[in-house]
Amino acid sequence: MRMDATQRGWAWFSLGFFLVSGIVYAFYAVNATAGPRGGSAMGLAFGIVGFAFMIFAALLGARKRVPTWRLGRAQAWMRGHLWLGLLSLPLILFHGGFHFGGTLTRLLMWLLIITVASGLFGAALQHFVPRLMTTDVPLETIYDEIGNVRRSLREEADRAVEALCGSLGFAKRDTAGELRAGGFTALRPIAASAVPLRTSAAVSAGASAAVAAAPEVVLLNAEQSAPLTRFYLQEMRVFLEEPMRRGQRLGDAEKAKSAFAALQMLLPATARDTLMELEEICGEARQLRRQERLHRWLHGWLLVHIPLSLALILLGAVHAVVALRY
Amino acid sequence: MARTRTTKKLAQRIDLNYFKRPTPYKRAKLWLCILVPLMALVWITWRGFFHDSRVYSSGRMSEPHAVLEKQCAACHVQKAGEFFSTASDSACLACHDGPVHHENQVQAQVPQCATCHAEHRGRINIRASSNQACAECHGDLRATDRILKYSAHIRSLEDGHPEFAALRGGAKDSATIRLNHAIHMKPIRRGPNGPIVQLECGDCHRAAGVNQAWPYADKGYVMAASSYSADATDILPNDALWTTKPLTGRETMVPVRFATACAGCHLLTFDKRFEFGVPHDKPEVVHASLLKKFQEYIAAHPAELRVVRDPNRDLTGKPLQPEARILTPAQWVAERTADAEELLSRKTCKQCHLYETPVDKAVVRIPSRTESESKPVGSLPGIAPAKITLRWFPHAKFDHDAHRSFTCTSCHAKALSSTEASDVLLPGIENCKTCHAPGPEHAESRCFECHTYHDWSKRKEVKPAFTLPALRTGGR
Repeated sequence: MRMDATQRGWAWFSLGFFLVSGIVYAFYAVNATAGPRGGSAMGLAFGIVGFAFMIFAALLGARKRVPTWRLGRAQAWMRGHLWLGLLSLPLILFHGGFHFGGTLTRLLMWLLIITVASGLFGAALQHFVPRLMTTDVPLETIYDEIGNVRRSLREEADRAVEALCGSLGFAKRDTAGELRAGGFTALRPIAASAVPLRTSAAVSAGASAAVAAAPEVVLLNAEQSAPLTRFYLQEMRVFLEEPMRRGQRLGDAEKAKSAFAALQMLLPATARDTLMELEEICGEARQLRRQERLHRWLHGWLLVHIPLSLALILLGAVHAVVALRY
Repeated sequence: MARTRTTKKLAQRIDLNYFKRPTPYKRAKLWLCILVPLMALVWITWRGFFHDSRVYSSGRMSEPHAVLEKQCAACHVQKAGEFFSTASDSACLACHDGPVHHENQVQAQVPQCATCHAEHRGRINIRASSNQACAECHGDLRATDRILKYSAHIRSLEDGHPEFAALRGGAKDSATIRLNHAIHMKPIRRGPNGPIVQLECGDCHRAAGVNQAWPYADKGYVMAASSYSADATDILPNDALWTTKPLTGRETMVPVRFATACAGCHLLTFDKRFEFGVPHDKPEVVHASLLKKFQEYIAAHPAELRVVRDPNRDLTGKPLQPEARILTPAQWVAERTADAEELLSRKTCKQCHLYETPVDKAVVRIPSRTESESKPVGSLPGIAPAKITLRWFPHAKFDHDAHRSFTCTSCHAKALSSTEASDVLLPGIENCKTCHAPGPEHAESRCFECHTYHDWSKRKEVKPAFTLPALRTGGR
């Protein structure tokens, strides 16, 4: 979710709520006989409202699990989650009079602080990373399928190299029995630097140009193909299989470009198209690697945020019952 | 030829059921969402299983109650059939009494113990109640008898606290001892023939607990017993609120005593025949002492019964004595005693003391031929009680020892210029506010620093409830 003008209403509401609460708290703290305490009427009021905000924020998870619920728009839930969850921190601090208290309450306070901090961190990432993804990863794919896509890229590269250099003994992948998407058959050329065309209209427009005769591929002899075979087996295929491994030349766009340029000088002109194809495959693999990394940033914080928020709600409920008793 | 990629090819990369397959990220999220709350639940249940309620505590307890950290039930008494078990006054009063603040206080308005003494705030001074607690009443004080003794709106030292009562409305020191502080603070001669000395405040004014030699004391007077009680001459307010803390003897100054502070300079000599002075005591004791000393003297020096007139001592307007007289011992003693008493009463004693009976009307004795004929025509002059004020703050406490780093005159500046004994040399409240103010860079300024809520003179003893071994295991 982006932090844009559409958030203005929630932002003003939250700021107003915070200011009013702050003024009420200041008045209460100055006049409270024994100082601000969670057990006083005002302290309880802050605690109840703060906990209610936390519960609302936590309900976003339930709302996402059951998207068919007609309980407001998902965007409104997300905004409520963001702003009310943020407001819960000062309200709970007001509730405890800025004291962290005993073991349970201290744990709750730290859980709340970490949860809110991770939420803010996540919100900032959600604001910046998608924009970065659009510019850095034009060939973005479904994150969960990155493994499959990477495998298909490797197979495509295998085929291209074998078509030029003869069989290298790569096993053919058996795709039978897997339900795959793609009933659309139009063809289109893909430029390395172009953003892929995904709409059917765009694809149709490029179809006539794309449907062209396939070029004649001449098989290289062993001596001619040796540099390519060596490069492919020792560098490119390793990169396609393990793109996250550090220190790989093909992981860097500039270095990859110079590597392919050098290779081109060692190969006959008939290998030029195949080399270009391999360079494009490397480029796409690099984008997938970048997408994977951005995705980890974009969603990794949730591994902290969600479990801790669940623990916070659970222990918060225990605290509410016990504190009322004592 | 450029590499071609069809949308079909692109689409075929995607498994239609990809969202059903678990990924490491999804798996990690799921397990964390289960395990973390589960761990929290196990932890809290574990504590509950072992009846360790400390986990629910809203904070550490104050130092005096730290021993009860594990004994929640000592204060949070669970009543049968009730869910709530908040700490009640009865639990507090089971261990220590909380005497009343005022005898005429309205019981319904008396706050609960925990209202002022908030627990579970860490190792704080639990006696340090907030200003708001006091201001609940003193912020808008209403007199039950329609006479307000104090300011009606006192919220803190800075807000509404009046000037000290001892300094309000031109109050005077009721002490009867004549003392010119200004003279004593300047270089002054020690006794009639002594050297010039510079007195320090501490040469005369000290706390009881200070165990140090007095530079201007006279051992004879210090050792001598007196017929009067020094304490009886001091004033202690009856309605003072006392602190529970044991006194160390360094909090308040003891009244200045003649033997330790004055005798070194102010000699009570009465006759050139004697090097020592009269006892610092009641007039009748002094009289008896004089008779005894003169009787012993004349018995040892009978030649002095022949008294030759000294022309230098003839007073205008008084009948001249014969050139020489032969006195009986009794007459001699009576005359010498009368002379000595006149000297003492008109000069020596009068220098510092006030008389209840004027000297002119009181004195003296008529010298007679025989001792039996010597009889007073009036009573001896009565010395007014010193009435030295022991505590200037009847409703507050002040610890001189806590302020020992400061020179006396930095607060009691008026001592340098005071010439009248009736001057109240107490520093005003503004002087206190120099250091005592809110904020971390100032000394404590909350009400409890000087005032005590409970009247500990009315405390009742409480029967002990805890036993030491049982306390550690949670029992009484």
